[in-house]
Amino acid sequence: MRDIEIKYCPSRFRSKIGKYRILLNSKCFHCGLCVEICSYGVFERIEGFNYVSIINSSNCMGPNCEKGPFYCTTKCPVNAIKIEIDPQWETLGDFRWTPDLILTTWQQAETGEIPDGNLEYKRGASEGGFDNFDFDINNRHNREQLEEMDKIDTSISLNRRSEGIKIKIPIPWYGAGMSFGSISLPTMLSRAMAAKAWGTFVSTGEGGYPDELIPFSNHIITQIATGLFGVREETIKRTPIIEFKYAQGAKPGLGGHLLGDKNTPIVAKMREAVPWTSLFSPFPFHSVYSVEDHKKHIDWVKTINPNALISVKVSTPVDVDMVAVGSYYAGANIIHLDGGYGGTGAAPEIAKKNIAMPIEYAITKVHRFLIKEGVRDEIVLMVSGGIRTAYDIAKSIAHGADGVIIGTAELVALGCVRCGNCESGRGCPRGIATTDPELEKQINPHWGAQRIINLYASWQKQLKLLLFQLGLKSINELRGRTDFLRYIDEK
Amino acid sequence: MYERYHIETSLVELPSTKIGKFKIIRDDKCLNCGRCINICIYNVHERDLNDSRKMAEPISHLCKNCFSCIQNCPQQALQMVKNREFENLGNKYWTPSIIYTIWNEAEDGKIPVYGAGYQGPFKGSGFDEIWTDMSEIVRPTRDGIHGREYIATAVDIGRKLSRLSDFKKFTLPNFHEIQIPMLLDTSLLSLKSLKNIILSIVKAAHQLKTFAFLEIENYFEELRPYLKSIALRLHLNKIFKMDLELLKEVKFIEIILPLKFSNLQLEKALKKIKKENQEALISLGIINPSHSEEIFKQFQEARADILSFHANNCGKSFQGNIFISKLIRQIHLDFVKRRMRDEITIIGKGGIAAAEHVPKLIICGADAVVLDLSLLVAMGCRICEICRIEYCPAELKKLDPNIGFQRIINMIGAWRDQLLEILSAMGIKDVRRLRGEVGRAMFYEEIEKESFGFIFNKNSLQNEGY
Repeated sequence: MRDIEIKYCPSRFRSKIGKYRILLNSKCFHCGLCVEICSYGVFERIEGFNYVSIINSSNCMGPNCEKGPFYCTTKCPVNAIKIEIDPQWETLGDFRWTPDLILTTWQQAETGEIPDGNLEYKRGASEGGFDNFDFDINNRHNREQLEEMDKIDTSISLNRRSEGIKIKIPIPWYGAGMSFGSISLPTMLSRAMAAKAWGTFVSTGEGGYPDELIPFSNHIITQIATGLFGVREETIKRTPIIEFKYAQGAKPGLGGHLLGDKNTPIVAKMREAVPWTSLFSPFPFHSVYSVEDHKKHIDWVKTINPNALISVKVSTPVDVDMVAVGSYYAGANIIHLDGGYGGTGAAPEIAKKNIAMPIEYAITKVHRFLIKEGVRDEIVLMVSGGIRTAYDIAKSIAHGADGVIIGTAELVALGCVRCGNCESGRGCPRGIATTDPELEKQINPHWGAQRIINLYASWQKQLKLLLFQLGLKSINELRGRTDFLRYIDEK
Repeated sequence: MYERYHIETSLVELPSTKIGKFKIIRDDKCLNCGRCINICIYNVHERDLNDSRKMAEPISHLCKNCFSCIQNCPQQALQMVKNREFENLGNKYWTPSIIYTIWNEAEDGKIPVYGAGYQGPFKGSGFDEIWTDMSEIVRPTRDGIHGREYIATAVDIGRKLSRLSDFKKFTLPNFHEIQIPMLLDTSLLSLKSLKNIILSIVKAAHQLKTFAFLEIENYFEELRPYLKSIALRLHLNKIFKMDLELLKEVKFIEIILPLKFSNLQLEKALKKIKKENQEALISLGIINPSHSEEIFKQFQEARADILSFHANNCGKSFQGNIFISKLIRQIHLDFVKRRMRDEITIIGKGGIAAAEHVPKLIICGADAVVLDLSLLVAMGCRICEICRIEYCPAELKKLDPNIGFQRIINMIGAWRDQLLEILSAMGIKDVRRLRGEVGRAMFYEEIEKESFGFIFNKNSLQNEGY
């Protein structure tokens, strides 16, 4: 197993956002007791200045600290300290990515460790799908074998057919397709560097294969999407896995969108398009109207690159099970299902919310159908579309997937707040999903790569811990084990 | 000459709708260093015009919630909080975000397109329990977003023949083609008789080549040029006391059936209207879904052509509190079972608050939907708990009918475009084909059971102590 270096990697912003805020009232006489007792470095009193200031309220544990010996509010001799929920925290995030999930993802990206549990880091608040499930742990593990935990295998194979090259990734996920144009080059580089460090993959999306990614070519999946932007013979030859993108979960049946503002001359050159025009990919492939046509596509790619594995990315209509089986018979190695609540750089709100089913339903549907057809063990089922946490990964696998594909969570590790303004104007004000030469400078690829590496490390630890608690030795044993899942009925 | 149907939208801003979701607060720790001016790409932060040493108050409604200024402020002097004014918009059904979306659509007529994945809850109630399908199995005639021009949104309102038995006796029944599966309604809240509101809606209906419902007592002379686009609405109980001169000139008449009425009364009223106007489409407005037998009879004898189902502003039926999508699904199936569904038209009114509700109600079995409160929201309404026109925060009494008109056109333009998105994703080229296509939709309860049923069965076994 390769060595992955986990380094502390702080936020690139000056001030942090936390869940709690601390108020000092006028009774405070700056005795400095709180500075001494708080072990999270919330307060500061510089030597020589008789003044207590609150320098880091985002580190505050809030009321959970109450039981500990260092709870400042009760220890304060004049009751001057008040802890309350920061109203700003309420403005962060949404139902799917709750403020807690964003903050804990940032924490994991900083430290590479499992969050301390003060904030909810396992589930969102969408009241459905993954958020309605929990693992039934029931102490299946054996405490004497604690040292075995490190040996738990989290790797999956990306080719389960008997022919073709074998590719194994040490963690059950790889990076989703995000095109050059939807995200900045430094962001792409960060993801590619992290994928290389972990020995997994990252997909280029449909906007072409920038030359800067060539050093990472063994870890880059290139996408052939309906727009055929930037698809060239050399890029197909270079890649170990080729992804055919039929549809995207957030805008199924509509084709990719890149609005004109983000289509800068460099992006346009890569896509062989006119700068500053909106680029809408067609839907569907106009050369594919049947499984036979699809087979022809795969044969064509295999002629150019006989060693490449084939992944087929489809979204989740009611007949997704048939599509999956069809893709198998056409020769695909990986079926990639992208659920309706998946990420995007630009999509109509109506499509994100209403078209096609959420991934949770599609996993069970396809998994069961592939078993019934007797081909489940020949194909790798990768899923994406709203996988936010290590627990979402585990739940997807327990429902029947082999692994997952991660998009938004990586961007959150780079500092995304999910404000949803990636689509137009100068793009992301935080420098992630932008093509603006000035804004994209905010991200240093080495810093970004480390953040993603750290997040992956924390997730792998969580998966190992969970597998250990469930008494399993490998992630492959978890696949389809719905008996470990418990349905949480809120009513 | 062939003319493609097109809705001409144009930007119309309304100052009363400029309410930001969040508020940026600058506290007195601020050193006026101006770093936020450089950081913010949305121009929220500016220097004070009168004293450029100081920072002006942040312009919160421009803020897009990116936290950049807050996290880059060297003094931690900026903070973002929820805007109470925004949170207080609307009610539980007409949520602030629904109102906000309509305002944006009414302003520029564009489809809301944003980055990042879906941010809302997994499912909700009513229309939020339904997902529409898309089609992975494709046809050569489709072209995603490029193929939208070839999708038809016209529907026929009125009566159709189910089959031709005798060509000699063939007469075309009453029907009228409208270009969008949406009709407009002018009787809104307590603003029923506001002339400027009525005029904006009726004009918009005329422009859009659809109908606007108007209660007969609210008619005024300025509406005369648009009479052909007005659907006159009368109450069954009042028909015999009324001067029915106006009926002769309209193409569409709706009779509202009260909670209780006799079949004889209805028959007499229908005959009387037919005497005044042979051609007009006749719709029965149902507020109580339970007396279906009499209604079926009227349709069988071809006295009425359209069944219009009324629910309240939150989409619930006045009797029984059932959501409109379920009711329409039921009524649709009833007519299918009686083999009459293709002859008549079913429309639904109430609770249509967002673009996706239109295709969803059509999937449940409606031919077209009636937009009501959403039109008022487009004109700036905030759906206050108690509507009193003299205290209206949007000052609807003074609204210029031209502004109201264009904002309605914009909203419906955006809704039609979104309908096209749904249809193009489904691979359907005509909205008439969408009607009753429940096989192309997923209903939460059904799919949840199908996918996870065996998991919660296990749960209930555990709960019972097995």
